[in-house]
Amino acid sequence: MKKDTTLPPRFPMRIFRAFCDPEIRDSIEGDLIELYRTRVKASGRTTANLRFFADVALLFRPGIIKPIGLPTNQNHTIMFRNYFKIGFRNILKYKTFSFINIFGLALAMSISMLILMMLAEQNSSDQFHEKKELIFRVLSDYEGSRNQYATSPQPLAAELAEYPAVETTTKLVPAVGGDITFEEKSKGINGHFADPEFFEVFSFELESGNPKSALAQPYSMVVSQELASFLFRDQNPVGKTVQFLDRKMKLPQGSDTTGTSPLEWGNFTITGVIDQSKYTSHLEFDVLVSSSTMPSLISATKLEDRRDDWKFFFQTYTYALLSEGKQPEDLSIALDDIVKRKAEEIKADHTVGFKMVPQALGDVALGLVNNDSKARLPLLGYYFLIALALVILASACLNYTNLSIARALTRAKEIGIRKVTGALRKNLVVQFLSESILTALLSLVIAFILLLVLVPSFKGLWVNQFLNFKLPFVPSLFVGFILLAIIVGILAGIYPALFLSGYQPIKALKSLSDLGGSGKLRLRKFLGVSQFVVSLFFITTSILIYSQFKHYMAFDYGFKSENIVNISLQGMDHQKVRSQYESISGVSTISACDIIPATGINNNSEVRVMGDVSDYRSVGLLHVDRAFHENLGIELVAGSGFSENEQLAQTQIIVNQAMVKDLGHSSADALVGLQFESKWGGPLLTVVGVAKDFRYKLLLNEDEISPMMMKYNPGEFQYLNVKVASSDLMKTVAALESQWKELDPVHPFSYQFLDEEIEATHRGIFDVVSILGFISFLAIFIACLGLLGMTTYTAERKTKEVGIRKFLGADSFSITLLLSKGYLQMLAISVILGAPLSYFINKLWLENLPNRVEFGLGTIALGSLVLLLLGALTISSQTVRVSRAKFADTLKVD
Amino acid sequence: MKKFQLGEFEELVLLTVGILYQEAYGLAIKSEMEDRLKRGVSVGALQAALRRLETKGFLKSSEEQGNQERAGRPKRFYQLTAHGKDALAYTKTTRETLWQAIPDVVWNLKTAF
Repeated sequence: MKKDTTLPPRFPMRIFRAFCDPEIRDSIEGDLIELYRTRVKASGRTTANLRFFADVALLFRPGIIKPIGLPTNQNHTIMFRNYFKIGFRNILKYKTFSFINIFGLALAMSISMLILMMLAEQNSSDQFHEKKELIFRVLSDYEGSRNQYATSPQPLAAELAEYPAVETTTKLVPAVGGDITFEEKSKGINGHFADPEFFEVFSFELESGNPKSALAQPYSMVVSQELASFLFRDQNPVGKTVQFLDRKMKLPQGSDTTGTSPLEWGNFTITGVIDQSKYTSHLEFDVLVSSSTMPSLISATKLEDRRDDWKFFFQTYTYALLSEGKQPEDLSIALDDIVKRKAEEIKADHTVGFKMVPQALGDVALGLVNNDSKARLPLLGYYFLIALALVILASACLNYTNLSIARALTRAKEIGIRKVTGALRKNLVVQFLSESILTALLSLVIAFILLLVLVPSFKGLWVNQFLNFKLPFVPSLFVGFILLAIIVGILAGIYPALFLSGYQPIKALKSLSDLGGSGKLRLRKFLGVSQFVVSLFFITTSILIYSQFKHYMAFDYGFKSENIVNISLQGMDHQKVRSQYESISGVSTISACDIIPATGINNNSEVRVMGDVSDYRSVGLLHVDRAFHENLGIELVAGSGFSENEQLAQTQIIVNQAMVKDLGHSSADALVGLQFESKWGGPLLTVVGVAKDFRYKLLLNEDEISPMMMKYNPGEFQYLNVKVASSDLMKTVAALESQWKELDPVHPFSYQFLDEEIEATHRGIFDVVSILGFISFLAIFIACLGLLGMTTYTAERKTKEVGIRKFLGADSFSITLLLSKGYLQMLAISVILGAPLSYFINKLWLENLPNRVEFGLGTIALGSLVLLLLGALTISSQTVRVSRAKFADTLKVD
Repeated sequence: MKKFQLGEFEELVLLTVGILYQEAYGLAIKSEMEDRLKRGVSVGALQAALRRLETKGFLKSSEEQGNQERAGRPKRFYQLTAHGKDALAYTKTTRETLWQAIPDVVWNLKTAF
């Protein structure tokens, strides 16, 4: 009989095997095959295939499908126990490798855990609102904006409430900022005007007071628990009357506004207390003032009237509560409709292409938009950190993969025996995976210890005062950590598991050299090289950013910043403070200004030369007093300072040299006496002096110094610049402080040294350096750990060869070379690939940076050198040891 | 009394197993049924019925080494158990009783309606 070897299509057969009860599977399969062959003979292959499909489909019925839930193999627990036992023994037996794996994974995991914590914290924000799914914040945007705005026009809330898609709306106007007083006790506070609907939309609970009526009446005020216990101690706050002086200290808190002279807003009645410590929210405030207070304040000209201003969308937060069953799209449609209907009112220069979009409350905490109620890490920051963590994690996983494959030979016998005694491939995959997961779980323990160190140092970063990370350990985080460990374990172990379990038992047992150990060398080298390329990139980038930081630190700003103390006036009259301070010994000169130059805050004015018909040009603006330029050591190249006559001085300006150049004049003298008119009206401004260029904007923001003018305007002063002559700086500052306390007992003395303040503006860069430096340390550390593992392994495997070579007369040096050659080559390739790569990538961002540092071969060479040194050190630590060993001992191995 | 629960298809399968005696494995039963009854029988329906009959105790089975034709897969041969035989006999007698109970006139009146 002719041998018939046709088999039915494999795919349906596999499906059948997967679902069929194993007890009858084989016999039915036999029937199917026999039937198939008969059909092929009778009616051809295609028909047979089709009918085979149909048969398999018809077999899918109860009675044939294997019973669900009952494991077919009952000894799983015993096998798993065995896997873990073997896993533990392996970890203990190969201590070096286990250490390398566990420690590498732990380093990488600690970073990921930190990021998990950050994400968890942001996700816990605003979860307490009952209707959180239905709450949306309205964002504004216009054509060509860099980022959306969290704020929207003030009349929007009332308008939007008319739409059926919206159940109700509430607006928050963060225009309350000043001093609250109750029976001699005073405190500086910030807050919002809020609608009565506030408590309908948000689920803040009142500790005392009625949420329905708390914000209804004019001059009602809801205060935070903290403020209430400060003002009223144990008394019941509700019903108490407090005085409020507004000083325009606006939210968001922590911004640098120092306030203006106080404006009496009158008496407010406390109607409720909110305990904010109970909630994590994007909204933070000391007080909420009923929005019905606004009309009377506006009519008394104590507050700007924006009630019908559709153009000004920079102040008010609008929240909408969707009607049950409505979708965010319905809200978008409503908002688009409003923009269309109010097109005339909205139209302005800055509102071209104006549109408003809803933002779900859950999305508020992740990401940052303009005018946001609270500073936090923008979404891009998360992507950046996650990308870094993934790179490090991948590197550590590669180490595990690499070392496991390299050590395949030592495991080959075990695999062979297991297979011979009946282990299936899938059992072995499970075994190796359970081993890698075990390793990852052990790493988790170390990673957690590392995390305990990492969290406080991250919170201590300068930049965190703007990001407000608290990073608490909550129980649900630990579930996340363990999941992370398991995922990492699977990722690290999957390739070795598949690779090792694929061994043919006969080969694994017979001759080890037949196995693919050396065949995978190329892959291992590739993995190693990629680790080092990444490390080199990180090293170069950190060096570069660090030198950029140093460059900014040592920058010549064009003014003297040493020994100058800037004191925030906090609304106090500068003359009063100044006359008190002049008498303090150690104080040499005092000047005043509105903005501290080169610290990131700028003011602008638009001016043109009197009679000129060309466009107004935008120039920087500083409000200063007569002593300012001398106090800061800014030289005048032409003209003189402001006039002693108060009236005259207010029409005078001092410009900088850049202005001279900008106007096309060759000498500074030509500018003196020139008159400017301002776009915003006011008296003509006469140039009395030309100052040498100095940096008044952030170095990060501009390359060349742009034109600017200094204007004499005492009404705008925010800071006193006190120059200290005495050698004991702190003693003078202490004297300044005690004097301040006499003048103003309410507000704490607030001062900054100018040089420190300027330095602080670049602290952000330094934080990036710290983070990147740490990451590159991890990257190179993990890469070196991997390299150490590989060389240790090679050295071990080659002990015998080394012994024979030495016996035949080879010297230590040639043997060291022999052992390290491959790895040195690998390092060299990494540098050859990595150096140009890091050069070009870094060049990309550096090109866009003003006042950049020279980026040349030096940085790259330094980075490469560090990499090569560390790599060579790692390699030689093993190879030298082996090459030095006595051959009499090494030949006895086995 | 429902001593023997036997569906129509199940009964046919049982009978065919009886016919084939020592040669009753899946495919043989299938082709035997198709030949004799002139109807298609799907592998799925047949195997499900066999399984059911076995759990009810009407059939017993044993696996035997397969041959080249089946690519080495085993054959599962089915045999009637005593219980199965009883069931068949019971069905047969019930039917016969019923048959006999039909009055002859039913058969003779061919044109009535």
